[in-house]
Amino acid sequence: MLDYIFSVNFIFAVIRMGTPLLFVGMAAVIGAKANILCIAYEGMMLFAALGGVIGSAYSQNIFVGMITGILAGSIIATIFAYFVLYLNTKPLLTGLALNTFGTGGTVYIMYLLTGMKLDTSSLASLQFPTVHIPIIKDIPFIGPMLSGHNFLSYLAFVVVIAVWYFIFKTKMGLRIRAVGEDPDAAASVGINVKKTKFIAMIISGVIASLGGLFMSMGYMPYFTNAMTAGRGFIGIAAQNLGRGNPIFTMIYTLVFGGAMAIGNTAQSFRLPSQFASMTPYLVTLIGLVVIGSRNKKLKTKKQNIK
Amino acid sequence: MINSTKIKTTKQIEGNFRIIRTLFAVLIALVFAFFLIATVSDNVLKDFTTLLIGPLANSSRMITVISKMIPLLFTGVAVSLVYSAGQINIAAEGAFFAGAVAATSVALIEGIPAPIHIILTILAGSVVGAMVMGIPAIMHVKYDVVTIVSSLMMNYVALYGGLYLILNPFRDPLAGFEASFPFAKSAILPHLFGNQRLHIGLIIGFVVVFLISILLYNRPFGYSIRTVGQNKKFANYSGIPVNKTIVLTSLLAGAIAGIGGTVETLGNYSRFVYTGFTNHGWDGIMLAVLCRNNPRLIPFAAFFLAYLKTSADSLNLTSKIPPEIISVIQAIIIIFIAAERFLAKWEHRKIVANSQRALAIEKGE
Repeated sequence: MLDYIFSVNFIFAVIRMGTPLLFVGMAAVIGAKANILCIAYEGMMLFAALGGVIGSAYSQNIFVGMITGILAGSIIATIFAYFVLYLNTKPLLTGLALNTFGTGGTVYIMYLLTGMKLDTSSLASLQFPTVHIPIIKDIPFIGPMLSGHNFLSYLAFVVVIAVWYFIFKTKMGLRIRAVGEDPDAAASVGINVKKTKFIAMIISGVIASLGGLFMSMGYMPYFTNAMTAGRGFIGIAAQNLGRGNPIFTMIYTLVFGGAMAIGNTAQSFRLPSQFASMTPYLVTLIGLVVIGSRNKKLKTKKQNIK
Repeated sequence: MINSTKIKTTKQIEGNFRIIRTLFAVLIALVFAFFLIATVSDNVLKDFTTLLIGPLANSSRMITVISKMIPLLFTGVAVSLVYSAGQINIAAEGAFFAGAVAATSVALIEGIPAPIHIILTILAGSVVGAMVMGIPAIMHVKYDVVTIVSSLMMNYVALYGGLYLILNPFRDPLAGFEASFPFAKSAILPHLFGNQRLHIGLIIGFVVVFLISILLYNRPFGYSIRTVGQNKKFANYSGIPVNKTIVLTSLLAGAIAGIGGTVETLGNYSRFVYTGFTNHGWDGIMLAVLCRNNPRLIPFAAFFLAYLKTSADSLNLTSKIPPEIISVIQAIIIIFIAAERFLAKWEHRKIVANSQRALAIEKGE
């Protein structure tokens, strides 16, 4: 097993498994900065995954697919934002309802269009291309690790940097942080709190949608029933562990990606597949406890100083 | 003075509007369902009628409704209880599943007399269920871990841990499908009225509803739970042990969900047959929302949901409509009931008009 962890294939698998988590993680970072408790990422991803498949299948154009996917995911984000911000709905319940809607609704739409309930393999949908980076791809060892990934995998890392820049270096990012930290103070200097949160939620939805697109147009060549399998939640957990910092969140998503990659190959080490499937969730739980106890120690230290 | 009987308090109006909002939510969901059916169906009216009154068509379907209601009683009460303490713990799903697995492990043992065997399975189910919901609560109290995330992860740990047991040590290679060995006869729950689909789980469910209602509204511990749920700081100042209350409530809720898994498995099947989440825990959340965490109302909400599920199943048999339509209806109902400002303007107008009338009468005197 250690052989595998130190192999080229493993690093490649970490990036592949980590891609959807990276997107959701970044979406969750923006949500958290605006202090919105959003768990609707599963629903957004599912809708985006299906939207992308449908758009690309009917237009035979990958860009159209990307846009329809992002639109589909953003619709869920918009509904979430509208209900939470303007109708005072509890965010948790809204998220829960939209996730239920995501699982049921996508199957319904899939059935409507293809007559199938399990997957859209009968639709001729497109996939995002794999990118072979010139020069790097020829370097031994590093080449096969970093080159030959799906276009969206590279985009995921660009999004990490973009999110970091957006949050910490732009006016809108500052507003989002202000609204998240103290809405009253933000309102007192003339920031429209609801509007800012709404915008944050939409951006968050667009990023989460990219994660959904990767699932059905990269990771798999078609959409399958409930294919996100809790990834939306793992992204939230990574954000939690990284305490809202994009770079730390990225590191944790890659840790979870690694856990998933090990899980996928566990059977070849004669471990039962259920342990494999359990790994990322167990790692998350342990991670939450470790980070939590560290934070608590810091807190008590601070109190002692006072 | 004559008119004053007609004057309602603001609280009464708000209470009325809760009911109105619930009715509107159901209405909107049904209208939406009508359009969804219209997109697939060849005979919209017939299929929509099936959705509305399908289960009433024959007594066998009504028994199905009651049978589907049994697990919902448990998860509905479990979620209501833990939400009353303000804990957003969504591990009821995992507790239900793990409870069923734990009960299975005991039910496979041969040679225990029936009543004791059943009690032992229920005990096993409740202990493991309590662990599944209790661990996130302990993590929250001890390490400030966000309960939603940890309880969700706990669901998956319970699912795959349970599946490992069922598909490895407990798996019956001769079953022909992925299932455990058959349960010992002594562990299978007695049926009610000689009907195959009704078992004593129904009675246990109502007992749980009754006991938890009393606990929550007529006992000091229930008061503590609700106080913690409404305002932790206030609870703390008034001397309620907040952390202890949270952990105990979560353990109790987990035990209830675990018993739900136990009776559902041992009442309906001769071996363990689940290969994934059963969704009863998620349904429990919807029920708690519908009932505003009041366990007394859970039987009604559980009946409503079981009714809808039965109609969706019969719709699936008689038409092309996929049963996933229920998820969509559920989602719409949850979101509109939870929307506090939905119909708020109407409610506000009523309250203002009411207060003005009250003032006018006061002046008139």
